[in-house]
Amino acid sequence: MRHSLAFFMAVATGWMLSQPVAAADSSADTANDTALLEQMAKLASDDAALRKQVLFDLAKSGDSRLEAFLENYRSGSVYLWNGQIVVCTETEEDEDFNELAPLTHPLTGEPVLGEDGNQAKPDILDLEDMSPDRAGRLAARSALFLLKLSSPDRESRLVAVKKSGTPPYNAESIPFLTDMAENDPDEKIQFTARESLLLIRLGTDVPLGQAQERWAAAGQLAGMKSLRALPVLEELLRDGGFSKHGQAAREQCENAVASINSHQSFVNWVGYVFQGLSLGSILIIMALGLAITFGLMGVINMAHGELMMVGAFTTYVIQQLFVNHLPEGLFNWYYVVALPSAFLAAAFVGWLIELAVVRHLYRRPLESLLATWGVSILLIQSARLIFGDNIGVNSPTWLVGSAEVMQDVNLPYNRLFIITLCALCVAMIYTLINRTKLGLRMRATMQNRDMADSLGVNTRRIDSYTFAFGSGLAGLAGYALTLIGGVTPDMGQNYIVESFLVVVTGGVGELLGVICSGLGLGVATKVIEPMQFGDFTVEAIWAKVFVLACVVAFIQFKPAGLFPPKGRLADV
Amino acid sequence: MFRDKPNHVRCVWALFLFGLIGIPALYFSGTISIDTVNMLGRYLAFAIAAIGLDLIWGYCGVLSLCQALFFALGGYAMGMYLAHHGGPEGIVDKDGWKLPACLFVVYPYEVGEAPGDAMVPWFWKPFFSLPLTVLLGMALPGVVAAVIGYFGFRSRVRGVYFAILTQAITVAGWLVFCMNNMKLCGTNGLTRFNTIAGFELSSHGVKFGLYLLTLVCLIGVFCFCRFLVSTRLGRVLVAVRDDETNLRFFGYKPYMFKMFVFALAAALGGLGGMLYTPQMGIITPEYMTAKWSILFVIWVAVGGRGTLSGAVLGALGVNLVYNFLTTSWPEAWPFVQGLLFVGVVLLFPKGIAGLLDLIRFKRLAKRNVEA
Repeated sequence: MRHSLAFFMAVATGWMLSQPVAAADSSADTANDTALLEQMAKLASDDAALRKQVLFDLAKSGDSRLEAFLENYRSGSVYLWNGQIVVCTETEEDEDFNELAPLTHPLTGEPVLGEDGNQAKPDILDLEDMSPDRAGRLAARSALFLLKLSSPDRESRLVAVKKSGTPPYNAESIPFLTDMAENDPDEKIQFTARESLLLIRLGTDVPLGQAQERWAAAGQLAGMKSLRALPVLEELLRDGGFSKHGQAAREQCENAVASINSHQSFVNWVGYVFQGLSLGSILIIMALGLAITFGLMGVINMAHGELMMVGAFTTYVIQQLFVNHLPEGLFNWYYVVALPSAFLAAAFVGWLIELAVVRHLYRRPLESLLATWGVSILLIQSARLIFGDNIGVNSPTWLVGSAEVMQDVNLPYNRLFIITLCALCVAMIYTLINRTKLGLRMRATMQNRDMADSLGVNTRRIDSYTFAFGSGLAGLAGYALTLIGGVTPDMGQNYIVESFLVVVTGGVGELLGVICSGLGLGVATKVIEPMQFGDFTVEAIWAKVFVLACVVAFIQFKPAGLFPPKGRLADV
Repeated sequence: MFRDKPNHVRCVWALFLFGLIGIPALYFSGTISIDTVNMLGRYLAFAIAAIGLDLIWGYCGVLSLCQALFFALGGYAMGMYLAHHGGPEGIVDKDGWKLPACLFVVYPYEVGEAPGDAMVPWFWKPFFSLPLTVLLGMALPGVVAAVIGYFGFRSRVRGVYFAILTQAITVAGWLVFCMNNMKLCGTNGLTRFNTIAGFELSSHGVKFGLYLLTLVCLIGVFCFCRFLVSTRLGRVLVAVRDDETNLRFFGYKPYMFKMFVFALAAALGGLGGMLYTPQMGIITPEYMTAKWSILFVIWVAVGGRGTLSGAVLGALGVNLVYNFLTTSWPEAWPFVQGLLFVGVVLLFPKGIAGLLDLIRFKRLAKRNVEA
C-alpha cells in the first residue's frame, strides 16, 4: 500500500512539474521593438502596395501588442509626430479651443513624454495624419487576422488556423497556411493548416476548367478524416450545382461524406466507451468501500454515502488551508495532500461508527440499515451546521484540460485521473486482502468468526480495522468525486443506491464482481444513452431506468450476483 | 374486552377512541385548530401505509423499500382525480376533455405544437371518476407489487438483496415520474386541487370529514390485518419469516404467500397515499426518493415490528415529534431523528410496542408477587 501511494505521488509530481510555465515576458526585447517601429514608420509612405506589404510583414512578427496598434491604425488614430509613430485615441481641448492630442506609444501604450517630462500634448494640427483608405483598412483587418495566425501562443494560433478554414475565407491567409502546413513546430497545427487549405479549396467556386483540383480536395479531406469537412460537403450536396460539374464530382463528394461519417461514428463510439469506462470507474470507486463493509462484513452501511461526503469535505478543508496559509504557487499540491487526508479522515469517522453502532449489530444485518441511516442523518446535519450548504472545491490546474490520444478523440485529465485512482485502489485492496497477514485475518474473521476467534485472531480489532478500511475507501471516492460533481452535505444520498446495486450485481464478497459489474453498468448506461429507435432517442434517464430493469432481471437468474460465494459460504 | 390483549393493542385502541371522540371534542370546543386536525389526518394516512409495511416486514420477514413507491402511486391516482376536477386554467382538447390545470402549465409540447394541440393523455382518463380512482389507486400498486413479488420471490431473492432490489425499483420510479415528458407534471407534481366528490377541499368541514374518513379507514385496516394474522394464513406468514426452507419442505409454496402479502401491503400503501393527497393538497415525485422509502421502515421499527399496533404508534409518534421539533427548533430535528434511529435499534429493538409490553409485564409480575 505504501509503495503504490509513493509511486502515485511521484507520478503526480512529475506531471505537475512538466506543465509549461507561463510564457516569458517578451517586452524586454528592445532590438525587436526598434525593428517593429522602423517598419511602422514606413506606413507613412504614399505607396499603397508598400503599406500593404508593411502591414503583412508586421503581422508575421506575431507580436500580440500589435493587435492594439492595428486596431488603432484601422480607426485612424495613428499619427506621425516629428518622424515618430504615435497613437492618439482621444483629443482634449484647452481654454483657447485648441485641440490637443495626448500621445501614447504605439507598442507599449505608455504615454509619450515631451521635453518637460510630462505626457506630450501637441496640437492636433501639428500631427501628420496617417488614416488609411478603404483598401488600407481592409488590409489592416487581414493583417489583424494574420497576426493571430503568427501568434507565439499555440492555442490562439490553433484557433486562428481553424477559423481561416471557415467562410468567409481570407485569401491573404493562404500563403501563411501553406507555410504553417510545412514549418509549424506543432504537428497538430500543421495538420489543421493543411485541413484548412483543403477546405478553402473545396469551398471556393472556380471556373469549370479548374474544378478538377477542387473535387480532388474532397477526396484528400476524406483521407485526412476531417470532421470539419462534413458540414461543408453536406451543404454542397444539398445545394446541388453538380449538374454542371458532372456525376463524377458528385460521387467524389458522396464518397468523402461516407468515409468521414464512418470516422465520425468511430470517434463517437470511442467517446461513449470512454465515458462508460469513466462512469464505470466512478461506480467502482464508490462501491469498493461498500464491497468491504457490506460485501465482506455484511453490514448494510447506509452511511457509506456520508463517508464519501467526509472525504470530499476533507479535500475542501485541505484546499482552504492551502489557499489561506500557504503561498499561491503551492496551490496545486493541495490535491496531493488531500488524498491521504481524505482516506484517513473517513477511516477515522468509520472507526468511530463501528465502535459506537455497527459493533452491536453484526448478527442483525437488516437492522444495521436503520441504525446507519440514523448515523448518516447525523453526519449530514453536522456537516451542514459546520460548513453550510454551498462550498466549492476547485480542481488543481494539472487536472484541467484534456489529452488528444487520437485524431478528434479528447480524453479529459480528470476522468483519466479517476480511472487511474480506481485502478490503484483495486490493486491496493487486492494486495491487502490477499497478500498480507492482516488480509488473511480479515478473511478468516468474515468467513467464520468463531473459528477465527478460537485460533487466536482478535476478531473485535479486525472488525474495526476492516470497517475503517472500507470507510477510508469511501473517503477516497468522495475525494475523486470533487473533480466531477458538486460538494454538498447530502451529496452521498445521490450515490448510495447505485453503490449498493453495483455490489449486489457483482456478487457479495468478490472484488472481481464489483469491477465487472461497475464497468458493465457504466459502459452499458453510456452506450445505451445515445441509441435511437425510430423517433425515440434513449436519454440519460431512460438509459438509467433500462439498466435498473436489466439488473432486476439479472438478479432473477443469478440471485447472488455475478460471482456468487461457493461451497459452505453459500449458505451464510 | 381488552383484558386479554397485549398492552400495545390496548394502547392503540385508546388512541383510536381518543381520535374518534377526543379530537372532535377538542376541535369543536375550539381548543385545536383545523390545521392540527388536518395534520393528524395526514399522519393517520402514513399509519395505514406503515401497517402494510409491517405485514410484509414484521410478519413475512421481507424488508421492502418500495412502500414509498406504492404510497406515491396511490397518491398520484388520487392526485389525477383531484387535478381533473380542480383549477380554473386549462383548455378543452379535441376530444372534449378538459386539460387539468397543473398539466396545462407544464405540458411538454412536441416541436411545432401549439397550446391548442395539447391532449389529455389516455392514462389520465380513467381517473376522472372517483370509484374507478379508488379501485385503481389500490389495484395498481397491488399489481405492480405482485409482479415484482412474483419474479423476486420465485427466484428466491432474499433479505438484503430484496431490499436493495426494491430500493432500485423505487429509484427507477422516481426517475420516471420526474420526467416532464411522462405528462405527470414532472418534479412540480400534481397540484391545484379544488374539490373532492363535489365538496370544496378548502372548507373546514371537508377537512374534518377527511380526517374522520382516514381514521375510520385506519381502524378498518387495523382490524382487518389483526384478523388476518390471527388466521392460519398469519401462522404461515410467521413460518415464512422464521424458517422458509422448512416450510418449503412441508409442501407449501412460500413465494405465493409472500407475493400475496406484498401485494396486500402495496394496496394498503396505495390507500394511505390516496387519503394523504387530498389532505396535503399536492403530490410530487419527492415521495419516491430513497429518504421516504426508508422513513416508512423507520416508523415501523420505532413502533415495533411484527405487532401492527407498532406501525400505528411509530408513524404517529415519530411524525408528532417531527412536527413539534421542526416548528420549535428546526436545526435539532435531524439530530433527534438520527439519534432516535440509532437508539431504537441499539437499545429497544422491539420499539415502542415492546416497551409498552415490558411495562405491563413488570406490573403483572408485581401483582403476582403481591398476590
